[in-house]
Amino acid sequence: MTILTRLEQWKDQGKISPEQYAHLAGLSRGEPLSLFLELNVLLYAGVLAFVAGLGWTVSTWSGQLGDVLVLTVLSTILAACFWYAFSRAPSWSVAETPAPSPVFDYVLYLVSLTWSLELGYIEERFHLLSGQWDLYLLATAGLFFFLAYRFDNRFVLSLGLSSLAGWFGLTVSHWSAHQDAAYRQYALLYCLLVGVGGAVLQRVGLKPHFFGTYLNIVANVLFWALLSGVFVRQGYGLWFLALLIACGASLAWGLVHRQFAFVAYAAVYVYVGVSSLFLRGVTDDIAIWGYFVASGVAMLVVLVQIGRRFGRPA
Amino acid sequence: MRLYCASSEETLRTRKLLTEWVGDGFLTKEQYQLLEKETVSELRTTNIFLRLVLFLFTLISVGAAAGLFFVVFLSRPLEQTAGVFYLIFAGVCYAAAEVAVCQARLYRYGIEEALAVCSVGFLYAGMQSALFIGRPYSPTQFLVPAAGAVFSLRIWRRFGFFYAFLAAMIFLIFLPGYWTSSLEAQHLIVAVFYATGLGVVASIRTRHRFDYLDEDYSLVEALLWLGIYLVMNLQLSLLNLPAQWWGGTGAPEFGRPFYWGTWVLIWCLPPIVLARGVRQKDRFVIAVGAIVATLTLISNKPYLGWHRNTWDPMLLGIWLTGIAVFIRRWLARGPGGIRHGFTAARLSGKDKHWMNVGSTVFGQLSPQSITPAPQPSSPDLRFGGGQTGGGGAGGDF
Repeated sequence: MTILTRLEQWKDQGKISPEQYAHLAGLSRGEPLSLFLELNVLLYAGVLAFVAGLGWTVSTWSGQLGDVLVLTVLSTILAACFWYAFSRAPSWSVAETPAPSPVFDYVLYLVSLTWSLELGYIEERFHLLSGQWDLYLLATAGLFFFLAYRFDNRFVLSLGLSSLAGWFGLTVSHWSAHQDAAYRQYALLYCLLVGVGGAVLQRVGLKPHFFGTYLNIVANVLFWALLSGVFVRQGYGLWFLALLIACGASLAWGLVHRQFAFVAYAAVYVYVGVSSLFLRGVTDDIAIWGYFVASGVAMLVVLVQIGRRFGRPA
Repeated sequence: MRLYCASSEETLRTRKLLTEWVGDGFLTKEQYQLLEKETVSELRTTNIFLRLVLFLFTLISVGAAAGLFFVVFLSRPLEQTAGVFYLIFAGVCYAAAEVAVCQARLYRYGIEEALAVCSVGFLYAGMQSALFIGRPYSPTQFLVPAAGAVFSLRIWRRFGFFYAFLAAMIFLIFLPGYWTSSLEAQHLIVAVFYATGLGVVASIRTRHRFDYLDEDYSLVEALLWLGIYLVMNLQLSLLNLPAQWWGGTGAPEFGRPFYWGTWVLIWCLPPIVLARGVRQKDRFVIAVGAIVATLTLISNKPYLGWHRNTWDPMLLGIWLTGIAVFIRRWLARGPGGIRHGFTAARLSGKDKHWMNVGSTVFGQLSPQSITPAPQPSSPDLRFGGGQTGGGGAGGDF
């Protein structure tokens, strides 16, 4: 029985109204067909291609064009986009706010990318903050967070989180010795800052729908950092314990909130961590292959049980 | 032919739509609970994340089991012996996939998918090892990719995995290389294969316009259109890629009539694909039409041997943005925001969900390619050389 036949049956039985029937039957037939997603992809690709071309042109022709012209063009684009964003934006609200127009989010995206381009150009040509490149990233992250919260834009929030991660990375790169361990500590600090920040903002009700973005990024950075600690030759016990705790927390969070991405993170990261410990120093082929068979089947059994109890498609 | 009965798959589709509709507010919770009871399916499904993880761990288990078998029972087997065992593994994996569906009623569960994928891999490796490795070149070697293609098609028909169809298309690319050394003939043969498939799919899918198979056929048709385009576009061709990757050779030479014929074709195909997609109201075909139109714009200059300018991507970006804005405004000006059965409005919460996922993922990825690098030590150096990520740092400014 097709969906259309079922809908007709439900209408005849009075389970859905004639209006609902007309609407749902239309949706099932693809009438009208929404091109919302396709047009958004086109806009995203357009902005990305434009900024990539802009960057390529600036880096190739900056000598011939001259600093004044390059900075004028970049600043004009920035100013025009800022004017558009501030003149069209609805009044600010702590709750989720729809974009005033379909192109609005992409204008903001253009602002963010052009800003990064212009900053890079200025530093490259004039070395205003010579040796303190990380301050640019911190300022950029600050601007992106402001734009993301002012205009309710996840794209720019992701850019902000990415810039902040870059700032942490560059800050630690000033230390030459023991970089790996230092990177790990800074990654944990980043996770702590972003995770707590995201949780606090959600708790106080400031754009609480952004919390998912924070959580996904924090989870992945945290797992990578912990795994890199598990991979070291000595002193990995604490990192392994932390990995187990983080995976347990991720699993619990995923099951309680029915966000199965976190269940998947927990399964994959804990498997990699445990496998790296089990196989450390093992050279016997039978033991290695046997481990993968046993562990793979064990993971399957556990995941099937989880799937049976919790994992129906949402 | 198909392992799942039509009513089960149709019920599952109905259930999925009900979940979407109640999320979008088109049905009340009470209605949903009432209708849900009438759409109980015996098929066992799971969500996308568990599906992916189950797929991964099944691959690990099957691969490791094969490795363990060789280590325990055959320490240094001959290629032919190993090939025979690969073929046995292929049979075992395929049988296990069928059992997983028939007995456990798994449907897009990851496990049966990985088993089916492993069976194709083992079949390919087994035929290659058992029949041809260590022997002089034989023209019958085409049987290996041919068997891969046929077996992948069978899996697509039996299980409905679209990526099995894609695998069959990829296997077909290798076939003409065994039959002729002429690159032009190879391109034409692959294009004829795909065009034949397109004709068959187009004729079959008219019978499934509004049922559960429509989306499957839509995806397959879109893949075939994309395949034809990629084979005929000599600047991007699928056929040249393996040679360029492994052989390190430059672009091959083609006869002028063939070369310019394909140039005409890459301009003709996008409007044809788009027209077909719009007429059929087929989302996947429309998407492929847009992709091939963009690829034509990108590859036109190399085709003509013209110099590529640094500002070309800017023009492309302006063009893409302009087209998107124009279509959206044109549709929005229609009565009720609808023209010819199309709308630019968001009708489903699913679209919003995908937008949120996309903005998080692409927001993280895109700055890497266009944002500035850390300052180099010498002021004379030009841009480039950064290694850290982030909104303000990338490797190639």
